[in-house]
Amino acid sequence: MAFRRANASSGMGVAEHSKSMYMELQRKKVFRYVIFKIDEKKNEVVVEKTGGPAESYDDFTASMPENDCRYAVYDFDFVTSENCQKSKIFFIAWSPSVSRIRSKMLYATSKDRFRRELEGIHYEIQATDPTEMDLEVIRERAR
Amino acid sequence: MPELAETYACVPSTERGRGILISGDPKSNKVLYTNGRSVIILDLNNPLNVAIYGEHAYPATVARFSPNGEWIASADVSGTVRIWGTHNDHVLKKEFKVLSGGIDDLQWSPDGMRIVASGDGKGKSLVRAFMWDSGTNVGEFDGHSRRVLSCSFKPTRPFRIVTCGEDFLVNFYEGPPFRFKLSHRDHSNFVNCVRFSPDGSKFITVSSDKKGIIFDGKSGEKIGELSSEDAHKGSIYAVSWSPDGKQVLTVSADKTAKVWEIFEDGNGKLKKTLTCSGSGGVDDMLVGCLWQNDHLVTVSLGGTISIFFASNLEKAPLQLSGHMKNVTSLAVLKSDPKCILSSSYDGLIVKWIQGVGYSGKLLRKENSQIKCFAAADEEIVTSGFDNKIWRISLHGDQCGDADSVDIGSQPKDLSLALLSPELALITTDSEVVMLRGTKVVSTINLGFAVTALAVAPDGSEAIIGGQDGKLHIYCITGDTLKEEAVLEKHRGALTVIRYSPDFSMFASGDANREAIVWDRVSREVKLKNMLYHTARINCLAWSPNSSLVATGSLDTCVIIYEVDKPASSRMTIKGAHLGGVYGLAFTDEYSVVSSGEDACVRVWKSTPQ
Repeated sequence: MAFRRANASSGMGVAEHSKSMYMELQRKKVFRYVIFKIDEKKNEVVVEKTGGPAESYDDFTASMPENDCRYAVYDFDFVTSENCQKSKIFFIAWSPSVSRIRSKMLYATSKDRFRRELEGIHYEIQATDPTEMDLEVIRERAR
Repeated sequence: MPELAETYACVPSTERGRGILISGDPKSNKVLYTNGRSVIILDLNNPLNVAIYGEHAYPATVARFSPNGEWIASADVSGTVRIWGTHNDHVLKKEFKVLSGGIDDLQWSPDGMRIVASGDGKGKSLVRAFMWDSGTNVGEFDGHSRRVLSCSFKPTRPFRIVTCGEDFLVNFYEGPPFRFKLSHRDHSNFVNCVRFSPDGSKFITVSSDKKGIIFDGKSGEKIGELSSEDAHKGSIYAVSWSPDGKQVLTVSADKTAKVWEIFEDGNGKLKKTLTCSGSGGVDDMLVGCLWQNDHLVTVSLGGTISIFFASNLEKAPLQLSGHMKNVTSLAVLKSDPKCILSSSYDGLIVKWIQGVGYSGKLLRKENSQIKCFAAADEEIVTSGFDNKIWRISLHGDQCGDADSVDIGSQPKDLSLALLSPELALITTDSEVVMLRGTKVVSTINLGFAVTALAVAPDGSEAIIGGQDGKLHIYCITGDTLKEEAVLEKHRGALTVIRYSPDFSMFASGDANREAIVWDRVSREVKLKNMLYHTARINCLAWSPNSSLVATGSLDTCVIIYEVDKPASSRMTIKGAHLGGVYGLAFTDEYSVVSSGEDACVRVWKSTPQ
């Protein structure tokens, strides 16, 4: 009885398994990253790809399509200056300037609705080209 | 990470009809001067050792060390004085807005507590003296009606300030708090410079009326003048005392510098006239001087710094020069990778040798301005703002004969086929002109606005980039161009295209901050996402073994990418040149040379991995 509160301005809903995949990443650290896509036919956000904990940031950037928008969640592990191991979850709104306008509009208007479902995001990044999603940028934000 | 290996400094910016004021620190033997928005600290013992301060927002005019050598006060045309530390990364201590117009001269008091600044402005605001740390005024300076060109602080107590200016007046103030005492109108033209002797007993003023007058330091009364026999034949722009206070050095628009002996009664007699060898033109007029320890430094209008030795006035001077304006292109000669040629838009081509520094200026018979510049083994091809292309043959250090070709409209970009330099392609608005030697072989109208071009080293292929970001590849057959392919990937007008030295790839940069490396044969993208610049890409260079590509941009950064690795593993040099990087070249696998708007040329070396 999933009560789908589809009150995004684009009429988008969020599929249950998207949220549960995210919860798995957050609670049990089963995945390194999850990439979400908007399925226009079903009018909801679905999971496109997940990456295991062994995968690196480069694998993650390679899975992002060049010409289309996506949402992604990445679990970033790092060591702080005080030598403690920390892990922060990043939400990345990938919206390359070479993608179609329709795609950018769709993802932009549905982003808010989708983000509200995901609790526990530490940082959000909007990337319009690969340089804005660079590992350096992530590292700087995490500090 | 590439480290700065050498800096070939720019020279002081000069203006015809005005002197410039250079200063120094006798303890560390450094000289301070300004060029554009930068203040340059040059070590006289080792001219390759320069430090540059670029924090002014307006063109800087004068800079001075404090008496203890710890601070430098520098001023600019907006009337702002910045006080910053000599060591410790030039940290800013204070900034004051002192005058309403540009500042022409600045002096510290001998105890380092007060600063007097003079310049342009209105009414009262022509000269101001203030405490160095708080900025509170220490006197009222009226008495001048026009721009005050120079000011000087008496180095011994009781403190006095002397100012002189365009209203032909020399004013004397007593204090602190400084009050007007008396004024002299002995000069009949602009009084360019006034300086107290190191012991404070006398001060001398020099003027565009070719005279130098000596006054008593305590009372301000005239006591004598520089003798009129063997006097300067042109305006005297600057004066400097020797450290013992017995001699002065003056420089003048008659292209000579003179050393005078000053006697106790206040008269001066000529001791020696120093001339610098030069081409004899206007550029040899001397506009600035400084006597520091054993060195007599003179600066000419063309920017040449000549260093004479006080102990041996007969010895030929050491001459240093460089660029005064934006260095728009660089070339490294294949025959001698240690030799770098740089050209700036005012038509100056300078030769530098790595490890040594300034090597000489390439004197061309026709001194036109240069917009595009290319060098092959024995030849230099330049184009300027007239419609001509000049081919100048190069023999070692000298320029031989120059031939010019008129191509009908202003050239936008120029490229030489490196292996057969006879062939040159030049683009104008929407046409390409093919040149063999100095003959225009053909002019082809392309139909689109052209912004960049490159010719393959063997002359078989050419790539022409347009305003719309499309790359057109042409095959050169005989005298015509046949279009073979159009590549669309760039999202802005193309600014630079370069073939790799091994001819297997080419790289292109555009005005939208992106660079792309393509494979030449398949015309596929080899390396993309080189989007790390934040402003238009101005120049691009390949390393000799075609493994590295460097891009330089208006955002002052140089980024070096490795072709085999993803674009994110790049090496960035931030702040390479204040104002933007305009020229780039590799001298060997690990050294990049860059030049930019700040008129400097820098060599960066990265450690081999």
